[in-house]
Amino acid sequence: MTQVFDTKNLRKTVLDMAFSGATVHIGCAFSIIEILAVLYRNHLRFPDDTPAHPNRDYLVLSKGHGVMAQYACLHEKGWLSSADIKNYFKNGTQLKGLADAHVPGVEVTSGSLGHGFSVGVGMAYGAQRRETNQMCYVIVGDGEINEGSIWEAALFASHFKLDNLIVVVDENGFQAMGSTEEVLKLGNIMEKFIAFGFESIQLDGHNESQINDAIHQLKSKKNGKPKAIIAKTVKGKGVSFMENNNIWHYTRLSSETYAAAMAELEEK
Amino acid sequence: MRAAFSEALVAAAKANPNVLLLTGDHGYALFDAFRQECPEQYVNCGIAEQNMVGVAAGLAKAGFLPIVYGLSAFVPMRVLEQIKIDVCYESLKVIFIGDGAGVVYSHLGSSHQSVEDIAALRAIPNLAIYSPADRHELAYTMQTAMASSQASYLRMGKADLGDVHSTIPDSDMQAVLPILVRDNAKTLILATGAMVSTALKLASQRRDVDVYSVPCIKPIAKDQIYELCKDRDNILSFEEHSIYGGLGSGISEIIAGNIICNFKIVGINDKFSKYCGDYHYLIDYHELSHQKLEALLNN
Repeated sequence: MTQVFDTKNLRKTVLDMAFSGATVHIGCAFSIIEILAVLYRNHLRFPDDTPAHPNRDYLVLSKGHGVMAQYACLHEKGWLSSADIKNYFKNGTQLKGLADAHVPGVEVTSGSLGHGFSVGVGMAYGAQRRETNQMCYVIVGDGEINEGSIWEAALFASHFKLDNLIVVVDENGFQAMGSTEEVLKLGNIMEKFIAFGFESIQLDGHNESQINDAIHQLKSKKNGKPKAIIAKTVKGKGVSFMENNNIWHYTRLSSETYAAAMAELEEK
Repeated sequence: MRAAFSEALVAAAKANPNVLLLTGDHGYALFDAFRQECPEQYVNCGIAEQNMVGVAAGLAKAGFLPIVYGLSAFVPMRVLEQIKIDVCYESLKVIFIGDGAGVVYSHLGSSHQSVEDIAALRAIPNLAIYSPADRHELAYTMQTAMASSQASYLRMGKADLGDVHSTIPDSDMQAVLPILVRDNAKTLILATGAMVSTALKLASQRRDVDVYSVPCIKPIAKDQIYELCKDRDNILSFEEHSIYGGLGSGISEIIAGNIICNFKIVGINDKFSKYCGDYHYLIDYHELSHQKLEALLNN
């Protein structure tokens, strides 16, 4: 089966999961849909098309709250079944509300923020030590980079010259209790990563060709520098009444909002 | 004991190229031999313990065997959540070394003392906790941790109190080990770490006290401890750790509801070290000195 990672379909899968499981965190899943689609479609290498091959590329979703977007991709990969999607949050099922490494294709248990970046850095460092050509991609949230351990990991990645590491910052401008500007100002994220020794690119996190070009450009540079993509995104992207409305970090879909959101996606 | 630790590390790294020693910028002289003999396997992660444990988890996922070294006041205390989620939840094999456990860093104060590390770790699944009493138990616990498939925490306390064994123990690692055993002694001391030496000295002056060392705090030797405890008049546990959540708690969970006896948990009695002083001063301050415990036994 051809895997196209169509972003409309991925968002519809997220809505299906969120509705059937009566779950939250829709907005932060929608902001990383294009990033994940480009990674899965064009960049992540899984030898034998299996999730646990030792020479696979690593994708760490450090902002584990957006995991429904990854589940949608893993469903398209065929590593999650339609029953997994349909039965989301049912008692006794495997898919939780935050990324969990016991799920095939999910590398790291995250959700406690600031952990996944360090683990991804460790995996990239392991690949560097083994002299494999594996890449490690880590997606962090902008709220997540409040955590001090993120900057510990950034120092380590730079010191150990991990040029097989690309961290993508999902800069959607919101965290749990409000905008990042209101809660804890981040300033210029790209400049911060540059100051920590990263080669950095800022782009539109919903423009697939920009994302694709940036990843191609960064991963081909074996210049001893870790890489950062600062992706300007919209929390809730794709459904007008969810966009930039932080309530969709917490709100569950009703039959009406589910139908309205699906109809809007269908029109696009 | 520190020489034994250094030797064990070098031997482990030479036997397995996947062994990596990670340190949070600690262990200056301790790692001289390691850095000389296995420089490629030595990774100073800087003063960034949270990241160090995350990196260790990532390296374990990538097929390495990380040994993470820190002062026990920082590893595990500062990185408890990373140990829980990054390592233990995913059943990864990482060996944590917490050095200077108890009140070893007496002059430096409570920031560098660690009397709550066992309590903090005991509730985390998929993690063994070792507390060696001398260089022989150190070698023995390192071997066991290396051979295990799961994560381990090795608690290194006061290291220069002399040997309590004449050789490396030859038994199941989870066993409680005899140190001084008499005929029909009605008092039993179960001690761990540096306090085994204290228990041995106390018992040497008496005829009615048996001493056993407990080098493995978790999993604890339930059946053996039950058998040792069941016909005693008095049982005491000795540890250079809080009276809450350590060896004494582990023993009380075994005997509670099963054995009627006098049982006393001897440890740090829920207080910080208020004053500066040397190790022996603080041990006496916390009522763990030979003199204070002799008075306790006489009562």
